[in-house]
Amino acid sequence: MTTISSTSTASFYTSASEQLSSLQAEVNAVDNSISTGSQYTSASQDPEAAAQMRMLQLQDSEASADKASSNLASTNLGLADSTMTSMINDINEATQLTNQAATGTLTDTQRASIGTQIAQIQQNLVSLANTHDANGNALFGGGVSGNAYTLSASGTATYVGAATSQTVPIGGGQSVQVSLTGPEILGMTDVNGNQTDVINTLGALSTALKAGGSAAQTAASSALTSLQNGLDAVTTAQTVIGSRESWVSLNAQNQTAATTARATEESQIGDTDVSTAAIKLQDLTTALQASQACFVRLSSLSLFSELGN
Amino acid sequence: MTSSLLAIAASGAAAAEVALDVTGQNIANANTQGYVEEGVDDVEVSSSSTWSTANDVSLSGVTVSGIVRNADTFLQTNARDTASNTAGATATVSGLTDVETAVEDSGVFKAIGTFQNALTSLAQNPTDSSTRATVIQDGQSMSSAFQIAAQSLSSAQTGLQSEVSNGVNQINTLATQLATINTQLSATSGGISANSNITTSDRASLLDQRDSLLDQISQFGNIATTLNSDGAANVTLGGVSGPPLVTGGSTNTLSATVNSDGTESLTVGNAAVSLSGGSIAGNQSALTTLGQISGNLDSLAGSIATTVNTQQGNGTDLAGKPGAALFSGSTAATLTMATTNGSAIAAAAVGSAAGSSDATNLNAMNTALGTLAPASTMNNILTSISGAVQNATTTQTTLQTLSSAAAASLSAESGVNLNNEAVNLVQFQQAFQASSKMIQTASDTFTAIYNLTSS
Repeated sequence: MTTISSTSTASFYTSASEQLSSLQAEVNAVDNSISTGSQYTSASQDPEAAAQMRMLQLQDSEASADKASSNLASTNLGLADSTMTSMINDINEATQLTNQAATGTLTDTQRASIGTQIAQIQQNLVSLANTHDANGNALFGGGVSGNAYTLSASGTATYVGAATSQTVPIGGGQSVQVSLTGPEILGMTDVNGNQTDVINTLGALSTALKAGGSAAQTAASSALTSLQNGLDAVTTAQTVIGSRESWVSLNAQNQTAATTARATEESQIGDTDVSTAAIKLQDLTTALQASQACFVRLSSLSLFSELGN
Repeated sequence: MTSSLLAIAASGAAAAEVALDVTGQNIANANTQGYVEEGVDDVEVSSSSTWSTANDVSLSGVTVSGIVRNADTFLQTNARDTASNTAGATATVSGLTDVETAVEDSGVFKAIGTFQNALTSLAQNPTDSSTRATVIQDGQSMSSAFQIAAQSLSSAQTGLQSEVSNGVNQINTLATQLATINTQLSATSGGISANSNITTSDRASLLDQRDSLLDQISQFGNIATTLNSDGAANVTLGGVSGPPLVTGGSTNTLSATVNSDGTESLTVGNAAVSLSGGSIAGNQSALTTLGQISGNLDSLAGSIATTVNTQQGNGTDLAGKPGAALFSGSTAATLTMATTNGSAIAAAAVGSAAGSSDATNLNAMNTALGTLAPASTMNNILTSISGAVQNATTTQTTLQTLSSAAAASLSAESGVNLNNEAVNLVQFQQAFQASSKMIQTASDTFTAIYNLTSS
């Protein structure tokens, strides 16, 4: 006896339902990947890609913290740079005044007046050295809250900041000191080879000029050499800051390039290739339609519908 | 002569009627799970006459010897075993997906990254109270994420354990039912024909029930069966060498015990059972993976707490005091922040004054955490679980294909095809009509002879 279908009726319906629902599931998956824009809905679809994505996203979030640190370093170094330019201007002005005071034609009154101006410059230098950074801490005091220097009534400046400048990580495993400490900038040797700093040198000079007499002129002459040493110290420190600034800026460029590269990689790993997906969707829907048509035709082939006609 | 024709016609009509009944039964049960297509076994009846002479013609028609139950034991066993393996793989996939969801959705990975970033950012301004508060907040978020993961894993574990005990109950109930069927099969063994495929309609129904019960038991655990001559099925659980679950009319009880690590052990009587198929085997395998993942999470949480706390002890906090532990607890479920005070972070080196902007110890802590690489460890944990889900899914798909193919061959062999039944319906209807015609002929012949004698 020939049979119309080689399998049982129940099995025909079961397998038709399995095939149609499996095609439908594939269509849904492609549809989902197109509408969400991401290739995977759960990590188990591609554990390797998911692991890569997680690490890339972690690096993205690390990079944003590093970028904040890098920006802070850049701001502080820029602030330090411009502050040091003002310091250099002050020292230059003090040098001019000291030159006048060193000439023998001036009277004691005139020298005392220069002494007062130099005391004013010393005040300026102290305020500059006490500049606050973006966080409101001492820029040249290693990040301590408050001031880097205290000035006593007698005109003696004392450094009260931290021993080293703050170090922040700026990404790519690099870190940078965001400033210099007061002594690193203003520290110098005087004409006699003693360790001192610019502020106290100006303080001593001002006191000597105000006191008058021949000692005042001598003090002015020897202070010229000391101030030159101070100017050299500040200029050198400014060069250090300048090179750090360019280093931070270079590193920031590298980090930006790395971020762009990561974004490209994330897109390649996780995003849907829309054109490929659209073609696959077309392919699958055609197959689904054909399967549905086949099922309708086959299921209508029942001998019972022919009997009794 | 006419009486024998009547008798032959009547037997033919009766046989055709039985055949029509069986066809009707097949059509009615076309979609019944476990129903095996039935046929009618007709036997020619020819009784020799009392005076046996040469060329004696003595015909007595046809009789129905029994129901043909078209069951192929090999195909049945194959379909049952592949279905059992598929059920196991499906349960594994479902259990592991729960584990994957629990760990992934808890957001532990992201929280670890955020906490580390907060510590890194603190280096920008070590004395800033709001930055310190952020570190504490992110630490709390991280420990909450660990707790959520631990809780989700624990509830996934409870779910899997209750699935196991539900499966064990089902197997015991089904085994009891099978024992009852076995008893009935033994009691009706008088009806066994020499050909094991031919049987009574009662026994055919019992055999259908027996096979259906075997199929149901194997959904929960893989079994091996031996069939007695009376049709009763003996079942061993966990394969041929496993302990007996059903022997004739008696059963052994299956029981499950939860081990200290949360996995389940099975015993029948006092014998241990190891299942390789069925949903319970899948649940057990998912429980084992869950235990490993849970252990890995615990050690990760513990190592983060230890690293941070150790480094805290090497520094001075914002108040100028020696750093105290930031975390308490050493497992994912118990990890909590020991303090809510941002000043407690020991960013400065030992001996620093209160309010020190020194970040030496903070940098050392960041370096230590960088070396520990907790995010990378977490990434490995997540990758291993999603890899396990992927493998299980691939296995499940393969087994599903095998199982569907086996079910289709079994169904083609012993299932009901409605087109065949339509042909049978026409065939037996014609046979019945022909037998009726024979009765008419016998009656006409008798009337002719009667008229002959009476005229």
